[in-house]
Amino acid sequence: MSLNQLITQLFITPESALSISLPQWMPIILVLRHQQLLARYSFRFKDAGVFAQLPDYTQRHLRNAEIIAEKQYRQIDSEAKELTQLLSSLQVTPVFLKGAAYVLQSNLKPGLGRTFSDIDILVPKADIVEVEQRLTIFGYLSDAISAYDEHYYRNWTHEIPPIRHHSRGTVLDIHHNLIPPVSGRAPNMSAFAAHIVCTDKGFAVLDLPAMTLHSVIHLFFNEDFKNAFRDLTDLHLLFDDFSEEDWAQIIRLADETGFLFEVMLAARYCHKILHTPIPVWVSQHLEQFQLSPWRMAIVDFMFEYTLLPKHPLTTSFKQKLAVFMAFVRGHWLKMPVFMLIGHLAMKSFFAVRDAIFGKHQFSPKNSANR
Amino acid sequence: MTFPCKLFLPPFCFEVTSDIPFVAKNLERIYGNNFSQDPSLVPDYVVKIKQNEGVRRFYKPQARFFSDQQEPFQPLQLQQAYAMLEWGMNWCIASHEMQYVIIHSAVLAKDNKAILFPAPPGSGKSTLTAYLAFNGWRLLSDEMALIIPRTRTVQPFVRPICLKNRSITLAKNWFPDAVFSTVARDTHKGDVIHLSPPAESWLNANTPAEVVAVVFPQYTADVELDIYALNQTQSFMQLAGNAFNYGVIGVEGFETLTALIEQVPGFEILYNDVAQVAAFLEQELL
Repeated sequence: MSLNQLITQLFITPESALSISLPQWMPIILVLRHQQLLARYSFRFKDAGVFAQLPDYTQRHLRNAEIIAEKQYRQIDSEAKELTQLLSSLQVTPVFLKGAAYVLQSNLKPGLGRTFSDIDILVPKADIVEVEQRLTIFGYLSDAISAYDEHYYRNWTHEIPPIRHHSRGTVLDIHHNLIPPVSGRAPNMSAFAAHIVCTDKGFAVLDLPAMTLHSVIHLFFNEDFKNAFRDLTDLHLLFDDFSEEDWAQIIRLADETGFLFEVMLAARYCHKILHTPIPVWVSQHLEQFQLSPWRMAIVDFMFEYTLLPKHPLTTSFKQKLAVFMAFVRGHWLKMPVFMLIGHLAMKSFFAVRDAIFGKHQFSPKNSANR
Repeated sequence: MTFPCKLFLPPFCFEVTSDIPFVAKNLERIYGNNFSQDPSLVPDYVVKIKQNEGVRRFYKPQARFFSDQQEPFQPLQLQQAYAMLEWGMNWCIASHEMQYVIIHSAVLAKDNKAILFPAPPGSGKSTLTAYLAFNGWRLLSDEMALIIPRTRTVQPFVRPICLKNRSITLAKNWFPDAVFSTVARDTHKGDVIHLSPPAESWLNANTPAEVVAVVFPQYTADVELDIYALNQTQSFMQLAGNAFNYGVIGVEGFETLTALIEQVPGFEILYNDVAQVAAFLEQELL
């Protein structure tokens, strides 16, 4: 069994952890740490009642990750409170997305052991300049990024360059849409506005079907698959709590906003890779959005490798090829072709430059190459 | 030496890889007997220090540090590679290990009675550490005190002592037979060298000790020896300020440090003569 098969099997049946030998744990822990999944697996082993029987080595590394995740739970509440308060004077209610949204809802399974490196919020596009200014006054500053990246964010994407709190280091990603407007597929955000709800602690988030649809779009309408396996396990845990009504809702909203193909992909690969139960009527309904068999075979090849953990210990030539295909497809979806050619030309120029002059040489704020 | 090598530094095990010849030589010198071939010993951290690629291989060459796939620091000059590896290994522990309360502190013990010396850089902590380690004290750590939560027990994490600038010549005069690394010049801390502690420390690298006092040293050129007893609040604030993972581990960290401070005395010592400090510690605190 390959390392990636072992890791997916551990997710599906955590009890299988008991048959893993001590030397086998080292690569598993490295890959899970790299994919930010140690704490999530730790909770799954505890749920299955096998944690206490694992080797001390494994328990120690899992527990370390849990403690770091617990710190994030404590911190996210106060960060969310501060942000909501700061923006209330502008009559703007930030809607928390992805990792932060999962963790802010204590009843949500993907919140358990979920770590994230930045807080994603959604605000109306018309307010984005004011929001940025207000947060700057209260200590959120932008990191040094290259002029090209600045241009890329401001003109082409659905977010502004990340800002960072000067003392706590909290990184904020401020979105005004879920995907880049230049893709031509950015949804009308008013469709999502009807799905904004308030958590028991008073924070704005999307309701379960809309939040899940955003996570689906984020995973399948994208070119960056670094954390794809973690995001797939998020989807598994979200789908796990779906009622029939939630399924009906996500299909309705996806239909309204034009993302039924992505929902089909999400259900398909969650089921194929993580054995997520999908109601029969949902699978049957989504079948109509499949491509022709040979095109579907290519998409299957691409995602079945790209969505698995990625680490030098697990990567094969096939996975590299699949990730490259998914990278090109993601860009293709996001940008009109003339922009794409320009963007890829710039990216390859930077890659060649770094290969010749060494990485970090041209990184903004670089002080080590003196 | 062949890479990857397994370095057993209780309580942790590192797998180290490098393509830089002088890093290999330094590792052999400093860690002599700590390399392990035991297959049942599984590395906790996989670290790598390698030369930067591209023209930076030839022009102002640089070293890069990796903990598995993560690169926590910007590259440094190649001649600083060994120091960078030592700091990188410290980073691995400080940013991942949450089941000890980790304080930026030297720890030295006599008869398993340990004194913590938490101090910011520039306080002369490492010079004092080196002096004590070579004068009858057992070094548990120069950089981090690993305190077992809700106890006064400190787990050793024996590593070389990191000496800076003028202390380098001083230490070489004091201990001409000791084992030193090569010098890393012009780092953010100035020139630094790593000094391997005496055999006594390595032999007891897994023997814990009980904390009996906390001493905040401050080298002060014109003060021979001034000792101030600190009240519990002062000691606590200084200790918490030097704790690496205090903010992450939360309640457990707070309770461990408050209990520690309630049980052992705290002192601030201004000094310019390490021998006098040693005499005070031995007569008054043990």
